Amino acid sequence: MYPRGHSLKDLVRTSPFLNPPPKATPDSLALLGLRRDHFIPITLQDDGAAVTNTRFGSFPHQALLDLPWGTQVRAINVNASRSKKSKKQGGGKKRKRADDDDGDGNLREDDAGGEDGEGEDGHELASSGFVHLLPPTPETWTISLPHRTQVVYTPDYSYVLQRLRVRPGDTIIEAGAGSGSFTHASARAVFSGYPSQQASAKELENVENGIAGGDALPKKKKRKFGKVYSFEFHEPRVQVLRDEVKEHGLEEIVTVTHRDVYEDGFCIDEEVDGQPQPRANAIFLDLPAPWLALKHLTRSPPTSSQIRSSANSPMPVTESDKPFRTPLSPTKPVHICTFSPCIEQVTRTVSMLRQLGWIEIEMVELLHKRIDVKRERVGLQEEGLRGGNPMPKSVDEALGRLREQELRTRGFYERQKAKAEGKEDDDADAGAEAMEKELVKVEDGTGDAEGIESLLSKQQRMESNQSKAQERKIWKEGKLVHRTESELKTHTSYLTFATLPREWTEEDEKRVARKWPVKKQGGVENGDGGKRGRKGRGKEEAKLPEGGEDD
Amino acid sequence: MHSRVLLNTHVVLRLPSGQFKIVEVIPNTAIPLGKYGSFSTNLILGRPYHLTYEILDKEDGQTHSKLRLVPASELNAEALASEDAAAQGEEKTESAANAKGGVEFDIVGENGELLMRSNRLTIDDPLRQTLTQDEIEELKRAGTGSGKDIIAKIMASHQALDEKTSFSLAKYTVRKSKKYLKRFTVLPMDPGMLAKVMMEREAVRIMELREEMLGLIASWANVHHYSDPGEEMETKRGGRWLIIDDTGGLLTAAMAERMGILYPQEEEVEESDEEDLEESNATNGTNHQAPSPKDPPRPTTTDASEKELATTTSNPKKAPYNHTPSQSSPTTTLTLLHPSAQPSLGLLRHFGFDTNEPSPTHPLHTHLKTLSWLSLLSPSTDPAYAEPPLVTAEKLATWKSGKRGTYHRKRRRWERVKRVVDETREGGFDGLVVATAMELKGVLEHTLPLLRGGAQVAVYSPHVEPLVQLMDLYSRERRAAFMIGGHTSAPSPHANETEKRELEEDFPLNPLALLNTQLQTARGRAWQVLPGRTHPFMTARGGAEGFLFSGTKVQPVEGRVEARGRFAKRRKVEGGGEG
Repeated sequence: MYPRGHSLKDLVRTSPFLNPPPKATPDSLALLGLRRDHFIPITLQDDGAAVTNTRFGSFPHQALLDLPWGTQVRAINVNASRSKKSKKQGGGKKRKRADDDDGDGNLREDDAGGEDGEGEDGHELASSGFVHLLPPTPETWTISLPHRTQVVYTPDYSYVLQRLRVRPGDTIIEAGAGSGSFTHASARAVFSGYPSQQASAKELENVENGIAGGDALPKKKKRKFGKVYSFEFHEPRVQVLRDEVKEHGLEEIVTVTHRDVYEDGFCIDEEVDGQPQPRANAIFLDLPAPWLALKHLTRSPPTSSQIRSSANSPMPVTESDKPFRTPLSPTKPVHICTFSPCIEQVTRTVSMLRQLGWIEIEMVELLHKRIDVKRERVGLQEEGLRGGNPMPKSVDEALGRLREQELRTRGFYERQKAKAEGKEDDDADAGAEAMEKELVKVEDGTGDAEGIESLLSKQQRMESNQSKAQERKIWKEGKLVHRTESELKTHTSYLTFATLPREWTEEDEKRVARKWPVKKQGGVENGDGGKRGRKGRGKEEAKLPEGGEDD
Repeated sequence: MHSRVLLNTHVVLRLPSGQFKIVEVIPNTAIPLGKYGSFSTNLILGRPYHLTYEILDKEDGQTHSKLRLVPASELNAEALASEDAAAQGEEKTESAANAKGGVEFDIVGENGELLMRSNRLTIDDPLRQTLTQDEIEELKRAGTGSGKDIIAKIMASHQALDEKTSFSLAKYTVRKSKKYLKRFTVLPMDPGMLAKVMMEREAVRIMELREEMLGLIASWANVHHYSDPGEEMETKRGGRWLIIDDTGGLLTAAMAERMGILYPQEEEVEESDEEDLEESNATNGTNHQAPSPKDPPRPTTTDASEKELATTTSNPKKAPYNHTPSQSSPTTTLTLLHPSAQPSLGLLRHFGFDTNEPSPTHPLHTHLKTLSWLSLLSPSTDPAYAEPPLVTAEKLATWKSGKRGTYHRKRRRWERVKRVVDETREGGFDGLVVATAMELKGVLEHTLPLLRGGAQVAVYSPHVEPLVQLMDLYSRERRAAFMIGGHTSAPSPHANETEKRELEEDFPLNPLALLNTQLQTARGRAWQVLPGRTHPFMTARGGAEGFLFSGTKVQPVEGRVEARGRFAKRRKVEGGGEG
């Protein structure tokens, strides 16, 4: 059982995204997996009346609570259960299942009897339909979240977070929070603990090892907790996102601010360790005009010469009375990504980045494909079956069929001839009899199916194929093929990346130079031919770039 | 970690040619960059990353070149200049084009000046460059400036420079800069960077695992840092991922980065602290390793006997570190399954971790656990799992210190192996990450049972075929057949050998144990962004595309499925749906 009632546990609210309990617990987000790409997010309630209805049946929350994640759950016949329950003065907490921990045996016992057996809790199982109970992840949330704006999907956000070098303990600014898919993914990426955990843990002895035991650090080196500072201009969306963040236990990691970032920038009145926030080292801008926000993302006030207001990008440098504050980390390099669907937006963003001294500017478009895998079944035996191609599978099969068709045509003409000669009755009867015999053979499985195929009508052939298909293992037949899924996103947005190195002044340089003076006889060669031992040196370092190219 | 160049870390230098060079920053050594010259490591130590330097010519009597920091404005100057030119040219071009009916000839301004040239008059003749190779060599020997002079001279000596279109002029300038500019950029080493560097050198060694795929794998495997306040008092396990890595450690490094266990120190040093550090370093002199930035939090140990053990055996130099047994962390761990006797994680040395002599201060020392397939599947036959005989303290006291040391080392090794093997076999992992050339069916057969319900599985392959076969094991038809056949997760104990074999053949893996299986690929396409000259780059690296299979471990209902199948076969397949 999950340890409950622990002192720290009560003080810190954990997130089901980051600390999914072993089993589904009340008031926690869970997902019902209906089929691929179709999940229903629900907040489980410890309440007899709470029921989630899906196209695959109804699922009272009482039947879901305390199940281990990943469990396949059958639909419940809600009305029947209700009446039964009321007899049992139901509505209360489910009765404890004896075999809770070893999984699944219980259901078999319960419904050994009939088709509409009784599941746990006295719920009556419906005759069909089931879902899977899954813990939330940013990926499943991205698929199932309520759309408010265009969503940043998994391929894009995972690449962005990779390129922005977002690591646990980092601080990321996200502007244009939108539907919150990037918010959840970046919260997972920066997560390095719950800030209140450290505060509460102070009294408790820390026994954890390694980096998780941040309290083992010397006092002045406090562990930095990862944070997401999310900005959104649209107020109702801000409210919804705030509620979501709270509901998902992420309020200590994500701060949602309602703000016009073009005008008012990214600084906020929140302090962590006496430092004004955000002090971000990663930025993701999903805004219609990212270049208008860039002037707020500098370490020192941008000079008017840096921002040349040309005719097509009017950007007045607003002189304000407020002292300049930077939202960026003063020491770490800052990585930025802007997410724009149009090339014109990219051009203007890149131009502004260049003017503001960003370097390593790179624009990338991510081409993502999902691939369908199937078995391609070809052959005459597929006629009348789903998913097969009823063409002949080979030249031989084609020849065989052609010959048979030829035979048949000849037979037809012969019968016509005979008919014309007035003997039709006898012959037709004989023909029908022969056909009957062959059919019997087919059904017995004794006949040579290949030989008589064409003697059957199309309808008969299809029925014969269908009955034979019952015995075939069609999931093992045919050629295994793959191809791009039918629905293809050919363009989401252009991703513009750039880096702003830490500012490095003359004084800084002098200070460090004093510390690391270059000695006159600094003899040892690093790199190739170095004398340092095997540690940290392999052939990579030994290789020298070759001059090579001539023109 | 990534704000400034620290001692003895690996950094990546990007050269004007676009090539990368990995160097270890050892103080008082020189880093040679071939034709670009060489410089002292002390000139980049302690400086921020992402800065570009120019190697200046040696002055008389100096053994080392000085470096000049190239400001961002200078790096961006060229692009900005062309932006300006484009902005100015735009209006004129338009009118000129109208005047000439848009014919593709030289575009002449109203006053006759040439605004934009076409290549109509271009003469393909190498002799148009009047400087001979010898003369260029002479210039290089004379060593004026930092290559800029040479480039300027070359440009000036090109007879037909003014005949070039702006496009070809830009290309020409870039080509010459690559060749003669003595610049380099200092970049931090991280898994994304390493993937990039390795792709150019030994792509096969990392299974051609590109950066795009690293991000995708981490997302679909739901890899993240784990910290549960509720568990802190107990040493309950949490945040454990199982990994199979044939990429020499790149995949392990990338996952460790996402979990916050890759870098020796978390970046919590505030500016004031940094100043302190620098002071203390300065007094230490230059030959010492700066103590503070390299020291991660020293973990306390829970096991008193462990501590005792450590103190009795360790030599003075190692004394402070042995308190934490290696591979012992309960949370945020990677458990690596390796096919050879030793794990192959050579690339981790770029992050200061050597599996042969792991640094006890490195987080991977406790958070990375390794075991071989033999230990996992048949521990009883693995000699490392067999307990070495226990010797009483009295007897031990009579032994020589060397023998005693060996005894303790053996005991510790056994304790480690036993702990790792036992907890791995216990299962309950939060995810599985695989990049291997081994047959995937077998890999999953033995690893899937170790995952908890709802755990994520991500399997990378450079080629699509192995993953296509894997997808097929979870095809809709196979799932439906499995359900209709009334099979459960394991073959029934009453089944005879033939039936078992047939079941094994038809359903090599339980097709119901993974949900939402999908196969995908992603690739970034880089663009050049310049006004009027924005387009995707013309060439990129080919080779393996890289594919990812992912799914979610689930627990199928047992028993009644068969009965239901009889009533609504069709509906069940549809309703069950996720096949």
